[in-house]
Amino acid sequence: MVALLVLAVLAQAPVPAQSPAPPLAPVQVEPSPPEAGEPEIVPQLPVATLPPATHELFERIKRRVAQVRIIERRSGTKSSIGSAFFVSADGHAITNYHVVSDLVFHPEDYTAELVRDGQEPGAVSLVAVDVVHDLAIVHLGQPVPDFFQLQEKPPPQGARLFAMGNPRDLGTTIVEGTYNGLVQDALYDRVHFSGAINPGMSGGPTLTGEGRVVGVNVATMGNQVGFLVPVDHARALLNRALGAQAEDSSPKALLAAVHAQLLDHQQRITERLLGTSLPQQSLGPYHVPGRWLPFLKCWGDTPHDPEAQYTVTNYQCSSEEDLYVSSDQRTGMVSYSHQHLSSTKLGALRFSALYSAFFSSDPSVVEATRDDVTNFRCHSEFVSSGGLTLRAALCLRAYKKFPGLYDLVLRAAPLPSSSQGVDTSLTLAGFSPENAYKLARRYLEGLSWTK
Amino acid sequence: MDEVIYLEVLEGDAVHVRHRLERFPVTVGRGYGSDVILDDPKVSAAHLRVERAEDGGLVVRDLGSRNGTFRVEPWARLAELVLTDDARVMVGDTVLRFRGRGYAVEGTLVAEAPVGIRQRVFERPRIFLGALGAAMAASLLSSYLTSYDQVDWGELLFSMLLPTAFALAWAGGWSIASRIARRQFHFRAHGAIGSLVLLGTICLPGFLTLLGFSLASGTALSWLAMFGYLGLVAWGLFWHLRYVTRWDSRRLGATVGAIVLGFGALMQAEDLLGNEDFSMSMEFPRTLLPASFRLLPASSADDFFGEAIDLQQQVDELTKEK
Repeated sequence: MVALLVLAVLAQAPVPAQSPAPPLAPVQVEPSPPEAGEPEIVPQLPVATLPPATHELFERIKRRVAQVRIIERRSGTKSSIGSAFFVSADGHAITNYHVVSDLVFHPEDYTAELVRDGQEPGAVSLVAVDVVHDLAIVHLGQPVPDFFQLQEKPPPQGARLFAMGNPRDLGTTIVEGTYNGLVQDALYDRVHFSGAINPGMSGGPTLTGEGRVVGVNVATMGNQVGFLVPVDHARALLNRALGAQAEDSSPKALLAAVHAQLLDHQQRITERLLGTSLPQQSLGPYHVPGRWLPFLKCWGDTPHDPEAQYTVTNYQCSSEEDLYVSSDQRTGMVSYSHQHLSSTKLGALRFSALYSAFFSSDPSVVEATRDDVTNFRCHSEFVSSGGLTLRAALCLRAYKKFPGLYDLVLRAAPLPSSSQGVDTSLTLAGFSPENAYKLARRYLEGLSWTK
Repeated sequence: MDEVIYLEVLEGDAVHVRHRLERFPVTVGRGYGSDVILDDPKVSAAHLRVERAEDGGLVVRDLGSRNGTFRVEPWARLAELVLTDDARVMVGDTVLRFRGRGYAVEGTLVAEAPVGIRQRVFERPRIFLGALGAAMAASLLSSYLTSYDQVDWGELLFSMLLPTAFALAWAGGWSIASRIARRQFHFRAHGAIGSLVLLGTICLPGFLTLLGFSLASGTALSWLAMFGYLGLVAWGLFWHLRYVTRWDSRRLGATVGAIVLGFGALMQAEDLLGNEDFSMSMEFPRTLLPASFRLLPASSADDFFGEAIDLQQQVDELTKEK
């Protein structure tokens, strides 16, 4: 089975009418007092290791957290919300890139404001963005008395953490959870936080009991599986923002920054992929590309259907994560899949019809609209490679806002021989053509006949 | 005017009834006392009279009708009109034309082919049955080859009967048109033509798929496919209409050609104008047949990626469009 890792984006679009949720029982955080009958000689734990009282922590830091409202100019009201937290005395706050992406692409239509507990909203400007790590720095035009310190080193696994933010526009909230280290083998660094993160908390901080930030809330998979951006990336972006000039935060410069980051990022992925030899996986009598790098998650199955006249074995690998560019566009995805088809019951022509039908369905490419990408253009040929004659097609589409970046799809299938075949497709989203062609070439050469 | 003239009751440009007038005066009207009776409610019982004048000419005289008598060209109400050849008068809603015996008719049209008893190919019973049978067999084969689940005999039977029913209904429609226009059904001929068109429609995709695979061509083939279908439609339409109209083949051919080309141009209008909707689909040939069907040699991976470099330019062009 394919486990679809759906990362719910936490920037909240207009709040859907919620059915009244059952009220949550108040969380008892203080250690329960020793039972009356117990002898008093049990030694007290040292004070430093005691979990802090959440309400005290909350009282101390609630002013450092704010709600980000993206205001649409024409309607004059918020079109989406998120959270942010202050990190400097002169009003710099960290949030998620996906919370404020509208300001990058449509600066003429959207503005942003920060709302602190019990205070008037204050207009903020976008100063710096990091599209790869989904971070952004906004600047409030006035000094703030109280701000967060960023934690220097990661806490031990199992450490108790507190996520803050404004879920679903319900007000500033604190949520308890545990630190579970970096997500293993992920393409994009993420801290696994076992605690409830909900839409609207995006961009809020997750902190230790001492109030030091260890990560930025970014996504959830539901059921207490939350994800944070490690604070190191936030620190790097903050340092960059503090050293930046005023013209670096113009809408044009921000868009150019996103462009440059995407170009850098695809270069890094390409180097990582090309620096590793592509392992082979056997599928029937064919060799196909296997798990190229650990960040690709591979799954496979052969469904058994007693009625079917053929068997299909699936093998697919995917980064399972993409980059949020705008509310309409994702990129930064690497995925490929193979389907091995065989039949002992179908004649050559009927098998060809079946095989052609499988070859006719394309994998889904990353989300985008006509403002973001062009239509595909394809080049198709019979190619002989690895002892196989393949029908191969290479399709490309360009990014309209980011010249030099493209989505590439490679489809290939060897001509059927004795009622079997393997149909394969590679999808690379957001690559330069040189890199995409190199990767596609390596991929195509990973396809061969075993005998 | 002549001794004998003809009074023609017109219907549009065509003659509806023609009366031979020999003895004058002749009365025209709705009443049964008239010599020529017109069933037009706006015509009076005794409407007009045609009589010989003293000089031997003929005169139309209105008999005081309720709605009057009019000369058509130039339009004028009249009480009396000296008849000339081809004179037209209007009474009520009816147009009357007077023609003498000396009126010269046009030359005889030359019949294109001897309209003998010779049977056309399509009229032979075997052709109809053969074509229908071939269409049924082609449909059966195509549905067998393109279904890869377990053979469902009911579905196969249906795939065979559907084109049959369609061909028969189609031929029936054309036969009715033939009957109306030419008083003969020509069912067998229409059936044969319809079945042959159906056979072509069923076979063409398979043929094009095979050709496209053998020659590894994609875009040229879509034009070929379009011309194939248009040609098939034009051929069918031409022969069906041969049995419906009496037009000569050149005129019919030109008409059908114009219709089909116009239709084809409309279908391709989007492409010809260069409009392209946004889509995520990828256009490339998808046929995978056993290697023995392939005629062209395969290229190397170097060539493949070398030629694909053009794609970058093509999509960069697209970004410039709005």
